[in-house]
Amino acid sequence: MILHVDMDAFFASIEQVINPRLKGKPLIVGSRGNKMRTVVCAASYAAKALGIHSGMPSREAFSICPKLEFVAADQAKYIWTSEQIFQLLKGYDLPLNYASIDEFQLELIGYPDPVNLAKKIKEQIYVNFNITASVGIAKTWLLAKLASKLNKPDGLTVIDDSNFEQVLRDTPLDKLCGMGGKTGANFISAGLKSCWDLYLNLPGFFSTFDIAKAGNSQMAALLSANPEQGRRVSQSYDNSSKSGENTGKSNEAPKSISHSYTLPEVKINPQVIRAWIRLLSEMVASRLREQNLGSATVHLWLNGPEIGNFGAQKTHQLATNDGYEIYQRALKIMAKSRLQNPGIRAIGVTCSSLSKGTYQPLLKEEIRREELIQALDRINNRFGEGSIHPAITDLTR
Amino acid sequence: MNQKSFSPKARWDRFEPDKTGFNPDALNERIEVLAYFKHARIFPKSFTWNNKEYRIETITYNWQERLGQAQVNYFSVLSAGQMYQISFDNSTFRWQIDKLIQ
Repeated sequence: MILHVDMDAFFASIEQVINPRLKGKPLIVGSRGNKMRTVVCAASYAAKALGIHSGMPSREAFSICPKLEFVAADQAKYIWTSEQIFQLLKGYDLPLNYASIDEFQLELIGYPDPVNLAKKIKEQIYVNFNITASVGIAKTWLLAKLASKLNKPDGLTVIDDSNFEQVLRDTPLDKLCGMGGKTGANFISAGLKSCWDLYLNLPGFFSTFDIAKAGNSQMAALLSANPEQGRRVSQSYDNSSKSGENTGKSNEAPKSISHSYTLPEVKINPQVIRAWIRLLSEMVASRLREQNLGSATVHLWLNGPEIGNFGAQKTHQLATNDGYEIYQRALKIMAKSRLQNPGIRAIGVTCSSLSKGTYQPLLKEEIRREELIQALDRINNRFGEGSIHPAITDLTR
Repeated sequence: MNQKSFSPKARWDRFEPDKTGFNPDALNERIEVLAYFKHARIFPKSFTWNNKEYRIETITYNWQERLGQAQVNYFSVLSAGQMYQISFDNSTFRWQIDKLIQ
């Protein structure tokens, strides 16, 4: 059995505990301090009831509710709370997964009373942090996550054999994790409306949380039982797989790694723009190194009033995961825009053509550089990402 | 555990405090604090800011952040109907008032 803990409106709830005046009010947490030029990071339940949701531009949120309360996000408090909850759950001595900043999963191997455990966890979280969590219990990761979402906030839902069919019948397909994007749209266009429809066609999906495994073994049976629908589902599965969308396969190698950032206002200062490119290059490089990948292709995307949407890429012979090298390659691409000091509003750096590892450095200087990067990674892993960073990136703060 | 784990150290927010008007209430002024330590935790009781003493009625929340070698303890506190954020840096033993919480 899996026990999935999902914190309720995590960031917004913490802000409401910090400032009791905000309790019960529609509140958004913005990714930036300028409340009209940011996006909604998190919304309180009162704000969600008005149709405000994460990812929405704050301007739109304020047009829905002009009296909306606003707090700028402060990651330190969310990360600290998240880590404390993780430590609390660690105390149960069960296999534990840190699924996201506000989601945790416990594997209950031979645990006699999961419901009681869930109640205890919810109570402990509330007593320690004064915020609520919803818990889902089911046989698989996917079903447990789904269960945690069914009775929010402060819910406790078990999906077992007795209610499995009913829950799946009542749940629209797009509510299922991984079915929100193109995959979901493909399945829905193939005629699958509820999770139950998906189960009837691909029952293995719910037991393995892996479309590939589920699909291969059951697609043949599906095709023979109902050739027309089977063909459509099969086609939608193929399309999803080809699009490289997240299907829940944790071991699949990424096709590209990217970071982008929208600046609060148009920037003309080339030093500041370069600083942002360097920062994004370092962030991409750090993720490449984490996964022991090297990239041969760097793609730079710029957006601004004069430049419009500028994007170009260049493939080099040698793959790299050095932030400085990616930055240098990106600068060469930027030079192609042929505009002198264009105003820039948004920047993105993408690395693709990924391969395992990079070439072995031969020159003394290269070996020293490699050792330096490893030392910097060790420092950042110990003290937090960005603890030591290129000086130019200070211009982004 | 076959799921990919989350790294809480990954940074995702960046802002430009001076230019975007972020945190207009930022004070960052040194204060004197009367606090007690119990079970390896800090409980501020009152603070003196601009020669005026503020008695802390409630600590609504506290959290920590590691900044290099320093560990900063933050507290959101209520005093006479106003919320304040104060912090203690354990490397310099300095208390400061960070901002007024509106």
